[in-house]
Amino acid sequence: MATADVSVTDNRDTTTSSGYKSRKYILGVIVAALALVPVLQWQTTNNLNFWLNLLIIIFLWITMSTSWNIIGGYAGYISLGHNVFAAIGGYLAAMLLLRLDIPVFVTAPFAGLVAMVVGFVIGLITLRVRGPAFIISTIALVLVLRTIIDNWDFLGGVRGLTLPLIGLDVQLVKIPFYYAMLLVALLSIYFSYWIRHSKFGLGLRAISQDEIKAETAGIPTKMYKVLAYAASAFFIGVAGALWSQYVTFVDPGTYLIILFGARPVLMTLLGGKGTVAGPVVGAALVILATEFSESQFGGTELNVIGVGVVMIIVLLFFPDGLVGSLRRAGRLPALLDWD
Amino acid sequence: MALLEIHGLNKAFGGLQAVRDCSFHVEEGSITALIGPNGAGKTTAFNLISGVLRADSGRVIFRGEQIQHLPPHQITRRGMSRTFQISRNLEDLTVLENMIVQSPVHGWRGLLRRSMSAEERDRAMELLEFVGIAKLAHAETRDLSYGQKKLLDFASLLMSSPKLILLDEPAGGVNPALLESIMERITELNEQRGITFLIVEHNMELVMRISHSVVVMAYGSVIAQDAPDIVQNDPRVLQAYLGEVTL
Ligand SMILES: Nc1ncnc2c1ncn2[C@@H]1O[C@H](COP(=O)(O)OP(=O)(O)OP(=O)(O)O)[C@@H](O)[C@H]1O
Ligand SMILES: [Mg+2]
Repeated sequence: MATADVSVTDNRDTTTSSGYKSRKYILGVIVAALALVPVLQWQTTNNLNFWLNLLIIIFLWITMSTSWNIIGGYAGYISLGHNVFAAIGGYLAAMLLLRLDIPVFVTAPFAGLVAMVVGFVIGLITLRVRGPAFIISTIALVLVLRTIIDNWDFLGGVRGLTLPLIGLDVQLVKIPFYYAMLLVALLSIYFSYWIRHSKFGLGLRAISQDEIKAETAGIPTKMYKVLAYAASAFFIGVAGALWSQYVTFVDPGTYLIILFGARPVLMTLLGGKGTVAGPVVGAALVILATEFSESQFGGTELNVIGVGVVMIIVLLFFPDGLVGSLRRAGRLPALLDWD
Repeated sequence: MALLEIHGLNKAFGGLQAVRDCSFHVEEGSITALIGPNGAGKTTAFNLISGVLRADSGRVIFRGEQIQHLPPHQITRRGMSRTFQISRNLEDLTVLENMIVQSPVHGWRGLLRRSMSAEERDRAMELLEFVGIAKLAHAETRDLSYGQKKLLDFASLLMSSPKLILLDEPAGGVNPALLESIMERITELNEQRGITFLIVEHNMELVMRISHSVVVMAYGSVIAQDAPDIVQNDPRVLQAYLGEVTL
């Protein structure tokens, strides 16, 4: 018998309203517009590199936050150390480029796979505990990896590794990274969306609320959590690999600091933990706010304070994050309702 | 034939022996009641049987297989489902989602399927209808009343088509009309679908009316297991309850 599979939440009455019908097209137009941005590079005498760079950074953080949300949002296990997967991806791609001359665009998916496998193994160990103990274990992970890399000359130690630029002139050099990062961001959003609407995603949401209840409902919680942790590492590994050559270096001081690990958490909380759109909105807003405040106040500590204050204010008024709180109030635009 | 056999279960919390050399059985197709004063160890026994707690010693045999070492989800897969004394619904999920969570997932491919098939949805709606809360299907579970949560607990168990259902005080704190309706549902499922029940319940009138066999626990041990009319007149049982009253 042929039965249509549907998502639990596809049955809301709102799904039939016009906002939901046009959502697909509007999102399509946005993606198409983003894909066309680099084309303007030839159409204008102005150099668009500032905008390309800004968008690449946004795509990077959308990927980070969206991936983090799989374990941190859906399953409710707060990791402050997902930057280790970016570091693994970054270092792996850097070494393969330096030693074997394989371009990062080729190694990036492979870096994602390695990050995922490492995530699986780490998950088997750290996901035995929950709550504060789990959070601390994720910070410990960053510190351990940092210590190892700091002292490993093969990987450049504290100085890190410097990578060659790709051989394109300044007008073009950002474009391959732009498309690669855009693709990674879109795929990670789709991956997250797909999980959110799968049996797996429903199981993770059950785990985030009551693990014993989830177990007695028949969900192998241990396996779900480890899979979610591994899944959340994949696109972060890919993005880390691309980033390494984009900025032409990898070093412990950029990849393995607490701030890097905390950022996707803050972005996701701001946008809406456990929602598909939340991390996307949160990442874009934080990067834009940072950029704006840097342009206003210069590259000083004031930025950090400014962005921090904005975050606190937003979370005061939207405790479930922007998307989560708007949903609860019944005011979430259809365009952002991807759950 | 016994669907569930408990042999010499023990469980201590620190110095407190909550379950002590506990043995009883549940006949296939029966409604078996588990009674005893507050603190007798009934809920702890449920936790040991369903795998939520690990026993210090003893065996649990379900459908001929030892299960005391298995994690809860594997026990559920083998056809045993339970409720909790205090409802443990997933509050942030909708009522329908709470139903679907209980629906078994088959293998890796099942894991990656969309969260609900049309069949599952129909089945969930049918069961919600069965307990009379179908119109709440899309409500957030947190918004349900106490009694409605109990009904959801009960209905959701049926999603996995269990052989044995463990109910920990299904009627605790619900109004008499609802209680009556829950009991009717239990007898109906027992008689028409052959589902076996093990029920912890304090309402004696009710226990005596619907159960085929009664297990009495006191201080962690089983002091009697027999037909309701026999247990009712057992001096040891009266003593266990009277003993509590005089405390
Ligand atoms: N997790 C626990 N930690 C410590 N002690 C516990 C725990 N669970 C139960 N106990 C103790 O074990 C004993 C048996 O408790 P249990 O909940 O099994 O009783 P019960 O028969 O279900 O009682 P009631 O009818 O009140 O629900 C009690 O003394 C209780 O305080
Ligand atoms: Mg109890």
